[in-house]
Amino acid sequence: MTFWEKIQNIDRRWIYMIVALCIIVPLLIPFNSKTYVTEPTVNLYKKIDSFSDKEDKAILLSFSHDASTMAELFPMEVSILRHCFERNIKVFLICFSPPSAPLMAYALNVAKEDYPDLESGVDYCNFGYKPYGLFLPIVLGMGDDVGEAVDTDADGRKVKNLEIMKGIRNYDDLNLIIDFAASAAVFSWITYARVRFGANVAAGVTAVMAADNYPYLQSGQLVGMLAGLKGAAEYEKLVDVFAAYEDEQYSDGRNFSQEVIKNTWVPIMKKTISYTSGETNVQTDVELPYKFKQARIGMNAQSIAHIMIIVFIIIGNIGYFLSRKNKNEV
Amino acid sequence: MKRQIPLIIVIGLGFIFVAHTFIPSRTSQDFYDWWVSWSKAISPFAVVLGILSLFMVHGTKIQRKAPNWQYSVVTLLAVFVTAFVGFVWGTDEGTPFLWLFKNVQMPMSATMFSLLAFYIASAAYKAFRAKSPQATVLLVAAFIVMLGQVPLGAAISRWIPEASQWILNVPNLAAKRGIATGVGLGATATSLKILLGIERTYLGSD
Repeated sequence: MTFWEKIQNIDRRWIYMIVALCIIVPLLIPFNSKTYVTEPTVNLYKKIDSFSDKEDKAILLSFSHDASTMAELFPMEVSILRHCFERNIKVFLICFSPPSAPLMAYALNVAKEDYPDLESGVDYCNFGYKPYGLFLPIVLGMGDDVGEAVDTDADGRKVKNLEIMKGIRNYDDLNLIIDFAASAAVFSWITYARVRFGANVAAGVTAVMAADNYPYLQSGQLVGMLAGLKGAAEYEKLVDVFAAYEDEQYSDGRNFSQEVIKNTWVPIMKKTISYTSGETNVQTDVELPYKFKQARIGMNAQSIAHIMIIVFIIIGNIGYFLSRKNKNEV
Repeated sequence: MKRQIPLIIVIGLGFIFVAHTFIPSRTSQDFYDWWVSWSKAISPFAVVLGILSLFMVHGTKIQRKAPNWQYSVVTLLAVFVTAFVGFVWGTDEGTPFLWLFKNVQMPMSATMFSLLAFYIASAAYKAFRAKSPQATVLLVAAFIVMLGQVPLGAAISRWIPEASQWILNVPNLAAKRGIATGVGLGATATSLKILLGIERTYLGSD
């Protein structure tokens, strides 16, 4: 038996061991890697950023996934919440499945740890878990009156009486809905909130679901999309470079610029990091805790895993063609 | 009667809701809202039905000592313990319920999902072969999209992420639209068959 024939029949357990090593080692020993942002991520960032400091605009985050897809979706949830908190954007959270409720509270708690001045019911509001049977009445009802449709928040307070509701009545004000899902849940928001009331809808989905959403991106029914861990890593970078950016010139973040993001390199593996912009060569020091760079660390493992799969496919095909050639010669 | 009454309900309500879609009046909307509010009553019944079904299936398995009956004991214990701590101490931050969720449910769910990586790698190695022109096109597309998803692709060439986006935006989109149109037409045809009483399999075989 030749080497290539042997390798064709290799025990699966060896493959599993290589996969485990390729994923675990980059997570344990992280390294710097470049993150390039894509258009759907930029569009979502810009849309959220346009709500900065506006009393009469808010976004709604809908959590439609369970713990199994946390690795991909949790970093994007934390990044978006961080963006909202940095830019003083009103944010509401809701979920329609019981396993999503603790995840929603967890993401909120992790993101707001660094913003001690934020107040529930004033800067953000967790609507909590609502039974799926109420999905349609709530989604349609919010088109008329958010306070009426949702009634109470996670703490049992009357939504209508909360300070955050000043200037927020229906989808004209609660103008962006972002659904985090590992399924086709976002289509319901498109069908009922987008088509019927003209609300802007965006998606944060697992990588395998991303391909399904491209038709809606192209038609403009989705204003933006974060696709899997890569989308989360891109969003983390955008928040670092713009919303959370601080130096002498920009003490409170800076506005999005395609030129800046194109030329900015964010090395994540230093406790104190530097931004180097191609044109101005600006440098600043920012403390970056793990929670705000976890997607980019995860991308290291994903990068190695993708390369490993490509190498596997190449080796498998070389073996296949050589074995076939040998058989034909015999 | 056993078949006729459900059939009348389905056909009657089906046509009413189709009509609602095309009648943009307040009365029509109010009727729809009133009807939708009834859906609140369905969820609690579904929960009761689900729990009963779970206990019947696993209870029978344990009673008969069916193969792997031990897993049924674990399932029922998990239901009891989780429900108990939830009812007694609540579900807020810092409660045993949330501790169970974070330290048992979350890692177990993530573990199950992450097993996919192992199966994909193994399947890619064992089965992803350029056996035909179609398979070769698929292989090349997979290469480009996989490289385009990671920083290495852009480091090799800026062309790779752009090609990856093109594959997702053009051929993928065309296929997805084709499938969506087919599904839409199929759903319309099936709905019409149900509304007209031609499709009756939902009534069961009795």
